[in-house]
Amino acid sequence: MATESFPLADATSDPLVGGGDTPPVEPGPGERKRLTKWQLYSRRFVRNRPAVAGIVIFVLLVAFALVGPLFAKYDHVELDFLALSDPPNPDHWFGTNNAGNDLYAMVVVGLQRSLLIAVVVATGTTILSAVIGTAAAYFGGRIERFALFVIHFLMVAPTFLLLAMMSNDSGGDWKVIALVLILVSWFFQARTIWTLSLSLREREYVHAARYMGVPGMRIVLRHLIPNIGSLLVINFTLGVVGAVMAETGLSFLGFGVKLPDVSLGSLIGIGASSMSSAPWMFYFPAAALTLLTVSMALVADGLRDALDPTSAAGGRA
Amino acid sequence: MSRYLLRRSAGWLLMVVAVTNLTYLLAWAYLDPRSNYVGRRPPLSEQQIVNLLEPRNLDDGTPLLERWWNWFSSILFRWDWGVSPTGQSVNDQVAYRMWISGELMLGATILLTVLGIALGVYSASRQYRLGDRVAQGTSIITMNIPIVVAALGIVLLAIAFNNAVGSTVFYVTGSSSPGVSGFLPTLLDSVQHIALPTAALVLVGYAQYHFLQRSLLLDNIKSDYVRMARAKGLTKAQAVRKHALRTSLIPVTTQVAFSIPAIFTGAVLTESIFAWKGMGQYFIETISKNDVNGVVAVAAFGAVMTAVGAILADIAVVVLDPRVRVS
Repeated sequence: MATESFPLADATSDPLVGGGDTPPVEPGPGERKRLTKWQLYSRRFVRNRPAVAGIVIFVLLVAFALVGPLFAKYDHVELDFLALSDPPNPDHWFGTNNAGNDLYAMVVVGLQRSLLIAVVVATGTTILSAVIGTAAAYFGGRIERFALFVIHFLMVAPTFLLLAMMSNDSGGDWKVIALVLILVSWFFQARTIWTLSLSLREREYVHAARYMGVPGMRIVLRHLIPNIGSLLVINFTLGVVGAVMAETGLSFLGFGVKLPDVSLGSLIGIGASSMSSAPWMFYFPAAALTLLTVSMALVADGLRDALDPTSAAGGRA
Repeated sequence: MSRYLLRRSAGWLLMVVAVTNLTYLLAWAYLDPRSNYVGRRPPLSEQQIVNLLEPRNLDDGTPLLERWWNWFSSILFRWDWGVSPTGQSVNDQVAYRMWISGELMLGATILLTVLGIALGVYSASRQYRLGDRVAQGTSIITMNIPIVVAALGIVLLAIAFNNAVGSTVFYVTGSSSPGVSGFLPTLLDSVQHIALPTAALVLVGYAQYHFLQRSLLLDNIKSDYVRMARAKGLTKAQAVRKHALRTSLIPVTTQVAFSIPAIFTGAVLTESIFAWKGMGQYFIETISKNDVNGVVAVAAFGAVMTAVGAILADIAVVVLDPRVRVS
């Protein structure tokens, strides 16, 4: 109840703030009913059919990763010596590998691992790139030059090689992999955000805040970053796609997540070695991985249509 | 023009040198050549290991600064990139591997850029019509297929195709067959090998140019100078080709340069899937064998490719953009 009444109280106490959250006014004759911000966003999002399909697939995948273990008859490290390299059957739904591991259990665990890494990395990258990009634009001068130098340097640096070296050295600890992935993937987004913030820092409200004596870092956090919020939401979804791809690439080569821990990438790596004899070892993890990346990309596309006021792809409103 | 290019090249050279040196120092923090000899049967004594590693400049008993200077000076004065822990010359390895990878990366880059731009022009000129919708829908899916899945899927399709035809049209492993001689047979053989890895790289890579070119061209088609060109009596195709397309190609060319690292990463994965003995496979080999000098050579190769791409993009911008005057 408290949370529901909050926007109302907020709107009455300060009519200038939260204009999008004001309760809908009774439509007068010939006047269209006003939509709240979230109604508008969701209406524009739903109009993009592939995006709706994307979010449904994504939710199903997450549900599969969370609920899947409840139905698993085997543990992903458990070996069934009576079923070596079995094709999919009622006992092992996705089949088994040549050591007798149940592929269903491995795909569920691998999906969990890949999702966890992706969400952690996307969160970290979004925060880091937002703070560095806007701060560089706002403070300018030496800070800006230094940030841009680091960004350009990382653009040339062989980041995938550094990533492979560091995560191989960590022995496949997913936390280290996630951390290193954040460190080598924030800079592209930071550059985009920097370009956008250059015009943002000249806005009147930023000047007003500065002349009121608001400290610089608070202006960045309170006035600049919220104004690129929609971009950050899109960056986050695209960051999930990028992180999943980088992590699965690494794990496929054997430099990422290592046994007994599995990720979708390492499962595909195992499947690739037995493509002709046991193709199901490739099909299931590959399908899960492709559904994950494509669905997230479709969601990002829909979010762009919904959140970008200049986008015409969603039709009117 | 040449002075401008010289200045840009010098800047990039500095960047490549800095990246290579940084990778050397980082590589020592994460790779340990000594561990290759631990656990050998019969066990080697400490002194034996040092005796093996010392002459190869891979002994971590030597101070890092000294190791670095030995490495850097031998490149600087003798163009010698050092040896692997087993004593193979890095120069020899890179000398033939770089052409194999270069061929794959260059071919794929050209193909995917041209395909992406062409599709971008096609869908921009048919905005929101069926052709545009279908092309965009396909592109957003192909762009987000992980390269590993794409490459392995292509392998499966090619095997099925070869079986259906009854002869090996596409090779799924290696970059060339042994014992092929003569110009035409060699050409045909390399096309049969390169087709599939290139197809995988193009499939996942073209879409970004499709989207970029489409949105840039749409912005330009609506601009005043294109309307002006139409008003002068040019047909729509002429106006788009001569006025809108030329301006909208400029940001695309800069994008190409900075996507080369991504293509290199893609090449690492495709080479490992198609068993090419190129730089990508060297990348995997050197990291798993703690070959510090080899890893650094791979990093240098990647950085040089990026630099070459960036310089080519600079040239393209000068050619395309009449506002850029460099002389």
